[in-house]
Order: sequence, then C-alpha cells, then structure tokens
Amino acid sequence: MTRTSTVLSIFVLFLHTTFGESGCTSVDGDGTFGDDEPDNFDINCFSQLEFKDSYSSLTCNFIELPPDNTNYTLALCNKEDSNYVCFNMEKREDAYFLQFTDILSNKDICMDSETKRRVCRSLVVTDMVKPEVPFNVNITYQKEANEYLIHYSTPHSWKKYLQDKLIHQIAYRQEEGTWKTIESPYLQVKLLGKNLENDASYEVKVRSQPNGDFFKGTWSEWSASKSFRTTREQNFMESYSNVVLVILSILGFMLSVVMIVLIGTFWENRIKPAVWPNLPDHKKTLEQLCKKPKNNFDISFNPENFGYVHIHKVDDIQAKTEQETFLPPSNAPETNLPGKFRSGSDLKMIPAMTDKSNPNLPVTYGGIWPSEALHRLLGTSQTAVTEGNCSSSTYEVCHSSGVPLHDDGFNHSSAPSSDPSVQPGPEPLNGDTISQMLPTGEMRSPNNEEAYVTMSSFYKIQ
Amino acid sequence: MGNKTTEIRVKYENILSYDINELVNMSAEYRDRCCKNKKHENTKMFFCNDTQEIESLQSMACNMLRFFHKQKISKDFRWKAALVSCGTLQVLQCKCERHKKEKVCTQLNTHNKEDTETGEQSKKKCNQEFCELKENTSSLRSCWNKFEKIISR
Repeated sequence: MTRTSTVLSIFVLFLHTTFGESGCTSVDGDGTFGDDEPDNFDINCFSQLEFKDSYSSLTCNFIELPPDNTNYTLALCNKEDSNYVCFNMEKREDAYFLQFTDILSNKDICMDSETKRRVCRSLVVTDMVKPEVPFNVNITYQKEANEYLIHYSTPHSWKKYLQDKLIHQIAYRQEEGTWKTIESPYLQVKLLGKNLENDASYEVKVRSQPNGDFFKGTWSEWSASKSFRTTREQNFMESYSNVVLVILSILGFMLSVVMIVLIGTFWENRIKPAVWPNLPDHKKTLEQLCKKPKNNFDISFNPENFGYVHIHKVDDIQAKTEQETFLPPSNAPETNLPGKFRSGSDLKMIPAMTDKSNPNLPVTYGGIWPSEALHRLLGTSQTAVTEGNCSSSTYEVCHSSGVPLHDDGFNHSSAPSSDPSVQPGPEPLNGDTISQMLPTGEMRSPNNEEAYVTMSSFYKIQ
Repeated sequence: MGNKTTEIRVKYENILSYDINELVNMSAEYRDRCCKNKKHENTKMFFCNDTQEIESLQSMACNMLRFFHKQKISKDFRWKAALVSCGTLQVLQCKCERHKKEKVCTQLNTHNKEDTETGEQSKKKCNQEFCELKENTSSLRSCWNKFEKIISR
C-alpha cells in the first residue's frame, strides 16, 4: 500500500511538471512568452491603419521559422465575455495577413498547430502601427537664401487617424558617403547650402513613424531616393555682386533726387540766366538812358535863362586815374573847337594840349588830373599847364571832352584861377548834360561825336 | 476610475471622434428635405441626461445597431453607423440589452462590406428609417461632445 501511494505520488509529480506549464494561455504579466516552453511562438507583427477605406490590416511573420513539416495558423481573437471570437489570418508567402475594422478593442494573436494547443498573446493594434511609405520627394534650391528645400507627401495626409501624428525622418548623403538624418513633424525641411559641398551630388530619402502620443509603432519603409546637385561657389560671388549692385542703384537714385532738387531750386536764378542769357534790348536800354525831353524843355543859349540852374564853375579838369580808358590822341582837334572860344594864347596852348591830350580822356569837372597823365599827355611842365590859362585850357579840354557847362570859363576878362589846387566840384556827366549838348554837337571829339550822333539819331527816331 | 475616464477620453479623441464626424458628414450628403417637414411618428427620442451620459450613449449606440439590416438605407451609411455604434460600445465597455445586436460588431470586424445586403435607397419617397438614423447620429455626436467636456476637466 505504501509502495503504491509512493508510486502514485511520484507519477502525479511527474505529470505536474510535464503538463503544468504547457500554457494554453501562459502569458506573463506583459503578455510575452519569455520563459515558456519552446513551443511558444516568437512573431513580429505590425498594423496598418486605414490601408483600404475603413479597414485596417495586421501583418505578422515568424522570427524563427517553425519546422517545415508543421502547419501553423495564426488567428486574431477578440475576447467578448465568455466568447472568444477568432479570425484566421491569411498566409502570404512568409507572412500572415488580416484586415479588420475594429482597432479599439484589445485583441489576442493566437497560433494554432496540428500538434500543439493554441497559444495566444495579447496585442494592441494601435501600439504597432507602421505608416505607409512617403512619396513624391522633391528638392528645390532657394537661391537667395542658399538653401535646399526638401518636401514630400504621405498618404496619411488625407486619412483620419494618423494625420499630423507622424514623425518624418529625412536621410541624405553625398555620393557613396555616410547617411545623415533629420527628423521633422512637417512635410518639408531645409538643408543649408553652407553645410553642403559645392558642386556635389546628393541623395535623399524619407520615412515615417507615429509620434508616440497615442499611436506607437515602427518606421515605415524608405521612400524612393531622390538625387540633386549643389551649386558652385559662385553663389557667394553672385550674391555679393547683387548686393553691390543694389547699393549702387540706391546711391544713384539718391543722387538723382538731389540733382532734381538743386535744379529746381536754382533754375530761375542761376541756371536759366546762364544758359539763356537775357540779351539787352538796345531800344529799351537807350530809352532808359535817354530820357525824353520835357515838354517845357528849355533850349537856349542865353545864359540869363538858366539863372535857376546851379552852375558849377569849372576851373580845372579832373581826369580819371584809369589810364586804360585813354584813347589814342586825335590829329584834328582844332577844327572842332568853336571859334569864339579861341584866342591866341589859348590857341597856343590848345594845340600842345590837344595834340597830346587825349580827347576821349574821361574827365570830370573838378579835381586835378593825375600828374602822370598830364606829363604823358602834355609833355610840358606842370607849371606851364597851370599858368594863367588854366581855366581856358581847361575849358578847351572840357570842350574837347564835349561838355561845356557854363559861360564863365569862356569869359576871358575874368582872371582865371592859376591855383592848381582849386578843384571845382565834379560835375558828373548825366543825361541832362548830354541832352543839352546834343543839339549842338559841335564841340565834340571825333569818337564821342560818333556816340552822340548815334544817340541823337535814336532820340530823333523816338 | 480616473484611469478609466482617461482611457475613454483618449480613445474618443484619437479614433472615435473622427468616425463620428465622418458619419455626420456622410448623412449631410443625402437629401433630407422630408426629414425636416414631416414629424415621424413612433420616433424614439434620445436625450443625453446629465450625470447619465454613459447610459445615454449606450442607449443611442444600441438603437443605431438595429438599422444595420435596413436595406432602404444606403449600404455605406448604415455600415458606417454600425461602426460608430460598435466603437461607442467598445470605448465605454458597454453591452446592449439584446446580445444579437452585438453580433453585428463581430460581423463588421472582418465581414466584407460587399457581402452586406444591398438595397436601393429611395430618393423620391421620404425614408423614415433614414431620418431616424440621421437624427440618432446627431444626438450621439452631441452627447459625446458633452461627455468629453466633462471628462476632460
């Protein structure tokens, strides 16, 4: 009896050790089969959401292939209370595939074999999402910024669940070089031209992954590679020349504005008179110079009629110091002298004076001729000039200059002033003076006669 | 309970809300002039009662499942409505009083849409069932919006 119980206990113990851990649903706390029997299965699954309309898909494959002589089936099961509803996955080459609509419920993936019991493991569809492959990768070079814009598309942009919930990885490399990656949640990234080699060929590809907020999973497959070539180093020079050109354009514009303002400011006062000078109208000029005689203009040679006129006695002549205005002496001064003013002594003096004097000498009534001029013109001592007949000779010279003012100078009975220091007040030649002598026109120097004749003719025309 | 409401909110915001919006947009494409003019008799009204939002949603979802076999309604529309109903029940971890209705969800999971019985939806006559389902859909969305604001606080 005792022996039998011992054998039975050993047998039971043997059975327990052999069958106790052959889990139907030997699932660890995390749903894995870490320490289970070798007949557990190690598979790799991923899900694709909305791969076709409202359907999602599940694709699984064995990491370690089971023996070929054993048929295995994979099934996706839902626990619904006491019901366990399973759907067999379709075997496609080395993978198992199933499409379904419910992605909210927790599911189990179970493996059935002919020889083994069903083995299941939990599976969360939203934690193993594999996005679809990005496409339409394009590279655009932005010359101004020297940047390469890489933009791409993903099918999830027009789907529901993964829109704006993906992370994209952009990989690029130079020809046969090492890959460099950039990650972005957006559908475009920029590569700085300064970080790339000039005039080199590059290759770009993109893949996507759920961002992990709710959906988790793995990277999608890589997109088709796209190649591009960077520009040469001239870009810097071109940009530099563009900057210089812009600066020069701005300066030129500012200079033009300044010129326009200056021209507008000084047009009337300076530019226009210089370009189109106003030629004086001779007629108007002479009108200003030659004033019309008054209606009650007195023309008389009777000294008594001019008693109201303040007459300056001219005792001597003042010549201007500007010698360059001297004209060459005239050869026939005597004929122009009026006869009543001639006297012997005067005539003696006159020729000498007139020969050597410059009839056109600009003189004023009053003052003293400069000594230099007198010496040059007269060629005699100054005393001879001023001796006695100064006034008469002065008058002669005055006459030669053409402007007799009063009669005293012609009165030989009066004692002429021999004082050379006497300097009668200057009588500037003015229009009245000239007009007075114009009618006579007898006692003028040849050159002044021409001028007076001309002016006279203008006056007559008026 | 906090984890439960968080799980409900997360699943609604990331999955179910998109399905509900898609269903509402789909219902707007169908001509429903008769639904506005005519008051349908024997129409069951659903209210989203305060503090009883989950129960109200369950009731609406279970009611929508009965339209899955109504052939007068377009296949795409009733198929989508069934998906929304099953999703609501799944998120809330609820069941319907009649177990038969839940079999629809099982059929939806792997059943091909093309295998569903097809019926022509009459465009001339007023489809009362369509109007009821459309109104039910609108009530379901409103109640979900209300419930989400409560559990998001």
